[in-house]
Amino acid sequence: MNMLSLQHFPIYSIMVLFLGAFLIVIFGKSKVFRHAVALLATFASFFFMAMLFKPVMLEGQTIAYWMGNRVPAGGYAIGIALEVDALSLFFGLLVSCVVFIACVYSIQYMSHDDNVPQYYTLFLMLAGGVMGLVLSGDLFNMFIMVEILTFAAVALTAFRNTANGALEAAFKYLVVGCIGSTCILAGTIMLYAQVHTLNLAQMSALIPGNLSTATKVAFALLFIGFCTKAFLVPFHPLAADAHGAAPASISVLISGVLTKSGIYGLIRLSYFLFQSMALGTMQFWLVFLGSVSMFVCVTMALAQHDFKRLLAFHSISQIGYVLASVGLCTAFGISAGLYHAMNHTLFKGLLFLAAGAVLHETGTTDLGKLGGLSRKMPHTTVLFLIGAFSISGIPPFNGFASKWMIYQATYQKAVETGNIGFLLVTICALVTSTLTLASFVKVTQSVFFGQLPKEYENVKEVPFGMRLAMGILAAMCLVTGLLPEAVTRYLTEPAARAVFAVTDYINNMMGAGYAQSAMTAPPAVQSVSFASAGVWSPISWLCLLMIALLAVSIVAIAGKYDRVSVKSPENLGGKYDLFYGGEQTVYSQVGGDDLFWGFKHNWRHYFSFMHELHSGVVNDYSLWAVVALALAIVYALIVL
Amino acid sequence: MIIEALKYLAYVLIFPGFLFCFLTGMLLCGIDRKLVARMQKRVGPPILQPFYDFFKLCGKETIIPAAANRTVFLLAPLVGLAALVVLQLFIPVFGFSAFSNVADVIVILYLLLIPALSIMIGGAATGSPYAGVGLSREMVTVLSCELPLVLVLLAVGKKVGAATGSGLCFSLSEIVRYQMLNGSLLGKLSMLPAAAAFLMVIPGETGSHPFDAAEAETEICEGMLAEYSGAPLGVYKLSHAVKLLTMTSLFVMLFLGGIGGAIQNLILGAGLSGGAAGALIILLDVLVLFALCAAITAAAISFVHAVTARLKIEQIFKYYWTVVAALALVSLVLAWYGL
Amino acid sequence: MILLNYIASFFLIALGLYCIVVKYNLVKTVIGLSIMDYGVNLLIITIGFNPGGTAPIFTWGELKPESFFVDPIPQALTLTSIVIGACVTAMSLALVMKLKEMYGTTDTREIRRLRG
Repeated sequence: MNMLSLQHFPIYSIMVLFLGAFLIVIFGKSKVFRHAVALLATFASFFFMAMLFKPVMLEGQTIAYWMGNRVPAGGYAIGIALEVDALSLFFGLLVSCVVFIACVYSIQYMSHDDNVPQYYTLFLMLAGGVMGLVLSGDLFNMFIMVEILTFAAVALTAFRNTANGALEAAFKYLVVGCIGSTCILAGTIMLYAQVHTLNLAQMSALIPGNLSTATKVAFALLFIGFCTKAFLVPFHPLAADAHGAAPASISVLISGVLTKSGIYGLIRLSYFLFQSMALGTMQFWLVFLGSVSMFVCVTMALAQHDFKRLLAFHSISQIGYVLASVGLCTAFGISAGLYHAMNHTLFKGLLFLAAGAVLHETGTTDLGKLGGLSRKMPHTTVLFLIGAFSISGIPPFNGFASKWMIYQATYQKAVETGNIGFLLVTICALVTSTLTLASFVKVTQSVFFGQLPKEYENVKEVPFGMRLAMGILAAMCLVTGLLPEAVTRYLTEPAARAVFAVTDYINNMMGAGYAQSAMTAPPAVQSVSFASAGVWSPISWLCLLMIALLAVSIVAIAGKYDRVSVKSPENLGGKYDLFYGGEQTVYSQVGGDDLFWGFKHNWRHYFSFMHELHSGVVNDYSLWAVVALALAIVYALIVL
Repeated sequence: MIIEALKYLAYVLIFPGFLFCFLTGMLLCGIDRKLVARMQKRVGPPILQPFYDFFKLCGKETIIPAAANRTVFLLAPLVGLAALVVLQLFIPVFGFSAFSNVADVIVILYLLLIPALSIMIGGAATGSPYAGVGLSREMVTVLSCELPLVLVLLAVGKKVGAATGSGLCFSLSEIVRYQMLNGSLLGKLSMLPAAAAFLMVIPGETGSHPFDAAEAETEICEGMLAEYSGAPLGVYKLSHAVKLLTMTSLFVMLFLGGIGGAIQNLILGAGLSGGAAGALIILLDVLVLFALCAAITAAAISFVHAVTARLKIEQIFKYYWTVVAALALVSLVLAWYGL
Repeated sequence: MILLNYIASFFLIALGLYCIVVKYNLVKTVIGLSIMDYGVNLLIITIGFNPGGTAPIFTWGELKPESFFVDPIPQALTLTSIVIGACVTAMSLALVMKLKEMYGTTDTREIRRLRG
């Protein structure tokens, strides 16, 4: 087989990352070498993924790769396999792209830290773990990759171990993460006991027809395991701790990439392994979990006073959107959910990088201490605002496009099924979106606008490399927002179709006709329709731009906004000072976590209850995990 | 291609875009001020006063505070105004809509956020503490209005969707078309609470009494506008006026769209046809729309303004999320069960 | 015999979880994690076990249709899982050491700067 044939690209794309990690361990002392290796490895990984775009996304192929060419014999898949369908490729592209951007950002961001070689090693391990997870065709390898990425993520969370809470966060994440990983392992092995194979495709063929108590419990175990990886409620406090403590470039990966791997696992589990999503009860479960995550985390975010913790809670809130939409089990819903997953990776990456830029320059992320940075860091401010508008769903940025699709998908589902519960999801999503906007207005006011504290007089703009990384993400936010039609056609629609093409997935791996012979009742091919996919015409956005341009130029011509006629403010007496109603000018910043007092006052009981609940004691969080597991098992035994 | 471009340019600049918004919005604002004054037994300013104010502000010096971020400070008002004008393009004038079939209520919902956002960002960019307090209140007001607004739009969407058989209708032009054929939604019993809720949302969205805690001029010196002067302030005043038009015309299209059908029947019934009839219909549409907008302004804004005192911000929130949201919810549930 | 193994493995997993949830000492939490891991390992081995089977070690030509041996795959899995378990213990103990240095305590109730 030709070494350059497409077949090999998935494994290359994983291996370059691990190889890079290995090389940096050995030769990482040299600064140039480690930067070159890290950049090269992450770019190569992205390149190999991008090369698969045409055959997989456009031509609808599925690429199966058997390690050592050990193809299935006698109807049993013994070898280790990689399988790349459109769903895997969608996540693979997303992951490798963001990993590359985070790597570009790291170079200058981490330049003042100790132990930088170890950082890059762990960084590449984390990236490789996620890539391996999404491309793997084997349940046990998924477990291995989950362990690798959990380990790398824990170590990176504790990387700046002198920072406040980093060790604590890492320990909590390790404990609950390990409970999750153990769940995945136990679930995997229980499935193995039933079907005697670990290959995803073969399991997908064998399990749905042979549900027993053991497989149902295994389902619950795997489900909770992947929920831990996606940090869904009730695992959200860990996300907040881990994202808050880790370096910004790692927060990007944890929130943008690691949570996606959890979502990917949930999709594979529910749509492929068990094909349980045809059940209304399963849809209810996923959508309910998504909506609760969406709402609880956005309210938690409103109460935060740390920039990165706030962003972390928003991550989970947005993951809630994704899960609620994916759980609808309509092609349109899945397409919308994946679109939002992609957008979330882009805008949350941008926001975390902006938070990192603030931390890099000021040394703090406490909303109560910052203020007025927009005059010192104008580019960061603009980039942050783009991210904030995207996540709040302000048109024409990408969050709007995907949220719009999610609203339509949930509302359509409500109308189709006549179930008023789905309508509540639509309302919840719409209100959550406004709450998201509120908390970003809070950040904008507390960090970038308002008054500049004395100690930050000498703050400078961040170096070009960091701005470049943010700029790329910001541009992608805008592009994916302006071209929703292209994104859905070339990225999310093929992936959504792949979710429903379970039979093809199995046959590609195990040989044609395997699915039909092994499955007692092959799933009916679901009709994939995008009829209600509302995509607005780009002409309206052209009009928007035109109006904005016209307005600016009219005022500019009128001379009011021109630099000469607007007096330059320095040394002209009190005229250009702020208005204090005649009082003496003093430093008075309005910001911090009590900004929306009027809102929080009405919800004070809820907020104090939530504050008590998130006690920060690791035993409590483990207890939540155990309770969630118990509930999941009971639910799976009843409904599956 | 060029004709097409010119057409859209005309939409954007003249009707239903910038010029139309400017004239009608300012007139509505003038009417509102006059009415409030008359209700309080004052003489009040002339109806054209908002125009005078605007042009006067444009001629004044623009002072940018030393602590402000100039780019954001100057750009924010323009972005807000642009968003409102785009929003107006999305709202059909009875049978006429600038963008056919894309007028979507979700787009409208989000575009409505932008003007509020722009005034908040602009205020925040000055660094004034008054702006900080104003921003906090403005955001809570927006949050308050959001839930009832969402419920009303979903209720209307469900009602129309159920009637047309598609089951789901987010398109505003579809909603209007349905009403032109089947009579206004205000005539349906189940939509009455939603209409009432929407009327109550109008003063909240436009920031007028008693929901103007964000701009309480006697208390926090107009909040986010405290540092604004000259042309940017004029743009904000204009935005406020256009928002009056936007909210009231949205009400007309959501609940009184049937009137458009009546006009059409009247003209076509009189034996007219062809281009002349079309032009006449649009002319009448605009006039009727303006009259209705003025009436709604009088009822929902001026009257309420004259008889109430300013609420505290936490009261505003509570009011919207209990009373108004409950009204809208009643409509939604009724529409859901096909009433 | 086999049933006892299953019971023991689930007992170990439950014991580990109990230890994590109830004990407030960081070191005991780590012990809980290890116990849970051992429980899962026992479960894996038990699943692959065939009563009376030989060890699954063959060279070319030795493997015949009538040879009866235990399932090798779970054994390979257990090896992996043991390695991972050792890593978890090592890493968590390293974190505990650092935490003790920084917070001066190993009581989980006092290590809660990040909350709310």
